[in-house]
Amino acid sequence: MNEKSINISDVINLPLDTKEQKKAVDSKTPCVVDGRLKVYNPDEDNVKRLLELLKNKLSRQVVGSMVGCVHCGMCSDACHYALVRPYDPTMTPAYKADQIRHIFKRHFDWTGRLVPWWVHAGTPKDDEDLKRLKNIVFGTCTGCRRCTLNCPMGVDTAILVRLTRGLLTELGIVPEGVFVVSKDSWETGNQMGVTQEDYLETIQWMEEETQAELDDPHFKIPMDKEDCDFMYTINPREVKYDPRSIGNAGKIFYCAGESWTMPSWGWDQTNFGLFSGDDKLGGYIAKNLYEAAKRLRAKRIVISECGHGYRSTRWEGYNWAKYKQDLPSESVVVTLIRYINQGRIKVDPSRNPLPVTYHDSCNIARSGDLTEEPRWILKRVCADFREMYPNRSDNFCCTGGGGALSMVEYKPLRMEVARIKAEQLTATGAKIVCTSCHNCVDGLTDVIKHYKLDIKVAQILDLVADALIIPKKNEKK
Amino acid sequence: MSEFLRILEYEVQIVALAFMGTVYILRLIWMFRFKAGKEITDPVGNPRVGIAYSMMNVAMPWAMESARKNWNFYAQFVIFHVGVVAAISATFIIPFWPGVFEIKALVRIFQLALGAAFAVGIIRLIRRITSPTMRLISTPDDYFSLVLMSSFFASGVFAVPNEYEVSEWPLIIFFIMTTFFLLYVPFSKISHYLYYPFTRYFLGKTMGHRGVFPRKRGGERPAGLEG
Repeated sequence: MNEKSINISDVINLPLDTKEQKKAVDSKTPCVVDGRLKVYNPDEDNVKRLLELLKNKLSRQVVGSMVGCVHCGMCSDACHYALVRPYDPTMTPAYKADQIRHIFKRHFDWTGRLVPWWVHAGTPKDDEDLKRLKNIVFGTCTGCRRCTLNCPMGVDTAILVRLTRGLLTELGIVPEGVFVVSKDSWETGNQMGVTQEDYLETIQWMEEETQAELDDPHFKIPMDKEDCDFMYTINPREVKYDPRSIGNAGKIFYCAGESWTMPSWGWDQTNFGLFSGDDKLGGYIAKNLYEAAKRLRAKRIVISECGHGYRSTRWEGYNWAKYKQDLPSESVVVTLIRYINQGRIKVDPSRNPLPVTYHDSCNIARSGDLTEEPRWILKRVCADFREMYPNRSDNFCCTGGGGALSMVEYKPLRMEVARIKAEQLTATGAKIVCTSCHNCVDGLTDVIKHYKLDIKVAQILDLVADALIIPKKNEKK
Repeated sequence: MSEFLRILEYEVQIVALAFMGTVYILRLIWMFRFKAGKEITDPVGNPRVGIAYSMMNVAMPWAMESARKNWNFYAQFVIFHVGVVAAISATFIIPFWPGVFEIKALVRIFQLALGAAFAVGIIRLIRRITSPTMRLISTPDDYFSLVLMSSFFASGVFAVPNEYEVSEWPLIIFFIMTTFFLLYVPFSKISHYLYYPFTRYFLGKTMGHRGVFPRKRGGERPAGLEG
């Protein structure tokens, strides 16, 4: 698995590409015109603007992480970038966080203001420095939070990286992919720019497919049905690239005799605001979903399998939107446990005979609360479940986290540091790696292709659907 | 004891301590001026348990992979900080409870703790200088703080016998260093212990609320089963 390593200065000095920004300005894209999404303006004093924005974004929690680092270097042992490139000190999480910490110290900390050289406090000189900062925070960190949980001081490097991303997003100094996905999110309410028509057509198509599979023309994927037990929300990737996961969910809900619905608007449980650091975008997308559940008088929100989607919808979204949680929300994994536990669905593990391992999504295991639940299910729907090591909140990122999949310019580095994930996967001897995250599916698929591994990626819903014993028509209540 | 040493041990220390206390209070006021994050979601776990777990993390080397994999580094951390406690204690024991150091066994224990901490300080200094990663992230304050601490431990080794009738110099050096410490620490990274409760509190509160802390090591009953 050895390969030529990337010259890091090629990554750090990648120029700012603004073709998509110019296109959006020329086509008078509404979110750009009304200023919700910022474009880069070289004539503006961007350094000054960054300092103003930083001042407004400082919270007690952020300041704690700004001042708490003792530069012990322990974080370098936790980061997949630093572990794969031990000869490259710029991969150390503390170094990455120091890029914003230096600015903070120069302008907000006593010692940094009085004797800046003593604590390496400083201000970016110009836009070129900001562009380098962009490459560090977007290109060399997936925000996986492994360093955070391994910091003796409890310094949250990932929130400093996200904060910096947010500041740069406000200046339009972002990778092209981040700009495009943010634009799509603002314009269509989902991060993949899926049109309403495509969404509804795909649901219809999956409804027909599942009707055929179940041999039941009465099977429905209910749309905008009021007063259901839950509203099911999905990742736009399911509509665009993996519609069978919608059909699988529908099939399981049908077998469980569930009362459920999907909303025609506010259905995207993913949230690019988490990756871009844009709390406004995060709040907008999350609020769409919360309002949809309210409008449909659903009793709870069920979130399909997605790591950052779960984190955003279940946790961060309420805070970004300043929306008091009025409904319980849960991952579909918890819903599935309930079905199996209550005997509402029957599963046969022999239908999944190949060895299966589980990859913990960072956003679920380190920033969420689900580590045992996926394993509980997999041990019941697979004949041969094997742990991956390290696992749970010690697991390594699929390397596609933090929006990395949308930033193609950093892919060579991402694939290089994916070696650690490839080695983890290989060591299990599994033929299927299961994950509870659509983003991780793509991240892991890239790893598997790049390192030529004989392993397939699946999600929990897929394996449950495969193991599902569909009751005969006269058995179904 | 000379008048100079007496003043150094008492009045100067009290003034320096008052200065450090004042700066720390101002520092806390500064911290509290920043807005606090507010969690408005329904909890899965218990934030208080999370905070307690997070605060105690330092005493649970098994809880963090970074400590589990680097037991040597963790041992150094313990030795270094035991030395800190010994040195700070000595600055109070010598002027206020000199009888304590008439117990020779206790003096030896303090000297051992301070000597070991000095050795760790030197090891850490070498690591900081020789490792490219450590060099890149280190500031002059990082190096100076380590040199200062190591020197403080070394001076403590000679000061704790408190034999001013033999020579006052070990005590004079130790208390001059203590004074400098009290004045310098609030502006250096050494004051990290002031921030430790904050960073660990915030992390513990969030992670406890979400049920991430205490961290699961396998075998726990999944949530949702009761539903």
